[in-house]
Amino acid sequence: MAYKPQYYPGNTSVAKNRRKHMSDDVEKLRDISDEDLTAILGHRAPGSDYPSTHPPLAEMGEPDCPVREVVEPTPGAAAGDRVRYSQFADSMYNAPAVPYWRSYHAAINFRGVDPGTLSGRQVNEMRERDLEEYTKRQAETEITDWGLAGLRGCTVHGHSLRLQEDGTMFDMLDRRRLEGGVIVMDKDQVGVPIDRKVNLGKPISESEAAKRTTIYRVDNVPFRSDKEVVEHVQRVWELRTKYGFQPKA
Amino acid sequence: MVKTASVTDKPIQLRVFPYRMLQPQTAEKILNEIDQVKGVSRMLVSGKNLPRKVTCGPGTGSDVNHPDRVIIHVGGCAFELHVIVGDIYVEVDDESAIEGVRAACERALPFPFELKRGHFIKRKPTLTDFGKYGFKSKTDESINLEDERILGLTDPHAKLETNLCLVKSEENS
Repeated sequence: MAYKPQYYPGNTSVAKNRRKHMSDDVEKLRDISDEDLTAILGHRAPGSDYPSTHPPLAEMGEPDCPVREVVEPTPGAAAGDRVRYSQFADSMYNAPAVPYWRSYHAAINFRGVDPGTLSGRQVNEMRERDLEEYTKRQAETEITDWGLAGLRGCTVHGHSLRLQEDGTMFDMLDRRRLEGGVIVMDKDQVGVPIDRKVNLGKPISESEAAKRTTIYRVDNVPFRSDKEVVEHVQRVWELRTKYGFQPKA
Repeated sequence: MVKTASVTDKPIQLRVFPYRMLQPQTAEKILNEIDQVKGVSRMLVSGKNLPRKVTCGPGTGSDVNHPDRVIIHVGGCAFELHVIVGDIYVEVDDESAIEGVRAACERALPFPFELKRGHFIKRKPTLTDFGKYGFKSKTDESINLEDERILGLTDPHAKLETNLCLVKSEENS
């Protein structure tokens, strides 16, 4: 029988969503063109070549190394791209993703990633063209709802605030906003204006967000309502404690 | 004898906590509704900063042009919102005004809110205030201010003109 990874325990909608994010079995909700994505990332001008930090690996003449022979470089590494970052902030009001699950999604499903998981934001460093592929995946699928999340390279403030009246998460730099029923972004992730208005699609409704979220909340799906998850978490904590206990040391 | 006391009475302070961050139009509406309530002496608007320029990161110095940073009119006085309104602190003179404030909030807010009573705005001057305004005289060590109600409404280091809005009541004007 083929091995099937078991990503996360639990039977609640939140646990199921967590499994979906980890396994990349996520629904695509919108289309964002490559040029638009490059513009909002702000690392290079849309349509320009990828700047590089070293020549392509094929031209470099790599040293003899069994590991290098086994591990195939990612397209970005093979081309010698720069390492660049993208950072998302997610509202704690039922945003589909949370920093940990963005990191799980990146680390399980992509190669050459350096995820940084913080309380209200998640930053990911990768080679530039790999980063664009990864960011596109997160931006186009149900992992991101642009009303409750934002691509924010700096000034990420907003994840723990009450939502605005229009139901979107506060953005101090006004990078993206609700206009005519859709979220538009006219600045890059660090707040520098760009030459276009990128349409990021309709934000999901409050009830839909409650169904798609990976956040346990007492006013939606409480953590303690998922017995299997509680049992799993308690077991992990118990084993961590026991394995760290060394009386003779 | 040296006089030191600055504040003699203890007015009631309320905190209006809407369940959403307010857009400027709603903020203007609720502030005007509360302003109409008899017995309200001070209001303090608090929220998250709306900066003029990007202050950190590679985009430092770029204009933000946040659409919520607009001029609103409260009690005939115009001022620019520097924050997205999150909380409103209200000081009233007596118990009877509390229900008036609650009714004003219900009229202005299309979503739930909390109204709590407590100590939210400074009631007596602190060392920083004395440092800024000084004593009235050598024998009168109360703070050198004509109207002590401005205490606690702004940061002691901030400019009053851009942060404070004085609305005169009809009887005084």
